[in-house]
Amino acid sequence: MSSILLLNILWQVSILAMVTIGLGIVFGQLKIMNMAHGELVMIGAYAPVITSHLGLSGYLQLPICVATVGLTALIMERTVIRHFYGRPFDSLLATWGLSILMREIVEMIFGREYQSVSSPLPGTMSLLGTDYPIYRVVVILGVAVFFFTLLLWYRRSKVGTEIKAMVENPALAQAVGINTSRLSSVCFVFGAVSAGIAGMVLAPTTRVEPMMGLDYLIRSFFSLVVGGLGSLEGLFIGVGLIGGIQSTIGAFFNQTYGYLFVLTLSILFLWLKPNGLYRSN
Amino acid sequence: MTSTLLRFKNIVGGYGNTMVVSDISGTIGKGEVLGIFGRNGVGKSTLSKLLAGALPMSVGSLLLNNKDISFTSNHERRQRGIGYMPQTAMVFDNLTVRENLSLARSTQDMKYYLSAFPRLAERQTQIAGSMSGGERKILAFVRTMLEETCLVILDEPSEGVQPENILKMQECIERRKAKGTSFVLVEQNMSMLTSISDFYIGIDSGRIVFESDKKSASRQDILSVLSV
Repeated sequence: MSSILLLNILWQVSILAMVTIGLGIVFGQLKIMNMAHGELVMIGAYAPVITSHLGLSGYLQLPICVATVGLTALIMERTVIRHFYGRPFDSLLATWGLSILMREIVEMIFGREYQSVSSPLPGTMSLLGTDYPIYRVVVILGVAVFFFTLLLWYRRSKVGTEIKAMVENPALAQAVGINTSRLSSVCFVFGAVSAGIAGMVLAPTTRVEPMMGLDYLIRSFFSLVVGGLGSLEGLFIGVGLIGGIQSTIGAFFNQTYGYLFVLTLSILFLWLKPNGLYRSN
Repeated sequence: MTSTLLRFKNIVGGYGNTMVVSDISGTIGKGEVLGIFGRNGVGKSTLSKLLAGALPMSVGSLLLNNKDISFTSNHERRQRGIGYMPQTAMVFDNLTVRENLSLARSTQDMKYYLSAFPRLAERQTQIAGSMSGGERKILAFVRTMLEETCLVILDEPSEGVQPENILKMQECIERRKAKGTSFVLVEQNMSMLTSISDFYIGIDSGRIVFESDKKSASRQDILSVLSV
C-alpha cells in the first residue's frame, strides 16, 4: 500500500468519524434517525464561507460554526426532535422535512452555486516518504485527539455515566435525579455541533453547496449499519471499514465503484447482520 | 408530636384508563416510617410510584413541607427531596456497581454502607446486571440511601435479600430515621415491616382497608388484612 493511499484512507476515516459520531449519538442514544444530520454538516461548512465573505479572521470560523449549528440544533430539538425521542421511524419523517427546510433556507441566503474556501494551512509536508497537505495532517491529528478525549470523558466522567444510565432506563434515571430532558437536549446539540465541525474542516477540501450533506449522511448511516450502534468501538469499526474500503476501491478503480461496494456491503449487513459487527450491551 | 413532612389526599391513579388505586390519603411526619402492606397486586407499588412521581396522579393532592408537588415529575420530586427505590428494574444493569453508586448525589456515607454490605465493596467493577437478585436489591437500596433526601420511598427492599442483610437494611433505615429522614416502606416481610414502621396502611383492591399506628396494631391485625 502506497503512503499516499494510507494517508488518504486516514483522512477519509477521520472526517467520516467526525460526521458519524453525531449521528451515532443521536441515533444510538436518543433513538432519533436524524435525516437532517447531513444539513448540519453543510451548515458547519458554511462557517468558513461566512468569515471569508465578511472579511473576518479565520480564527472566528470555529465560534461561528459552533454558534450557528448549535443554535440550529437547539431550535430543532425544542420544536421537533424532543417529541420523537425513542421513535426512530417517526423521527425519520419529521427530520426529513426539516432537512428540506434547512436546505431551502441556506439556498435563500447563499444561493445554489458552489462556494470555495481556501485552506487555512496551505502547503505540504513530507510524511511517510511523500508530500501531503499540512492541513489534512493537522485535521487527522486533531480528530484523533478529539476521539481519545471523548472516549476518556465518556468512560470516566459522571455525565458519561448519566448518559449511559438515561439510555438504559430513563424512568430510573429520573428517579435518581437525572434531568433526562436536559441531558437529551445536550446530547443532541453535541452530536449536531460535532457534525458541524466536521463540515467546517471539510470545507477547504470540497465544494460547499446546499446539497453537500446528503452524501455524508448516507456514508455515516452505512458506517453505523456495519459497525453497530451504541458504542464508540462499533463506530470506529464502521467508519474504518466504510471509509477505508471506499478510499481503497476509489484509488484503484473509481469513486463510483467504491460507493457501489459500500452500498452493497451495507445492504448485506442490514439483511444478514442487522446489529452490525459490534454492539454494546 | 412530629411536624408533617408529606401529606397526600384522595390519590387516584393507575395505568392509562385503568385506575389501580383510589382515594388514598395519609400523612408522614418527619423522622417517621409509614409501612404499606397488602397482598400481591393490590396497588402497593402503584401507590409508591404515584408518591415518587414515576406515575402521574389522575386525582388528588400531594404536599411536601406544605408545598404542592402534585403534578411534578419524578425528577423534580427527587430534586425536592424524595428518594425512590422501585421494586423492579431498580439498578442500571449495564453499569458497574461503582457507576451505579456514583449516580447518587452524595457519597458522604459511602464508607458506612460499604462496610455494612461488604459484598458491594468487593464487586465495585462488576456489571450490576450480572449480580444476583438480592445483591441488586442491596445495590439499589444503598444507592437510594446515599442520597441526602428528606423522604425515602422503598418498594419491597427485602425481596430476595438474605436475612442477615435484611437486618442490616433495618439498621441503616433506623440510622437515617434518627437523623430525621422519613420513609415510606412498601414491604411484604412482616418482620421488617413491624420492626421499623411507626404507622401502617393496609391496602386491598387499591383502597385503604386498615390504618393504625404501631402501638394500636397487633401482628394478627396485619395478618388478617393479608388474608382478606
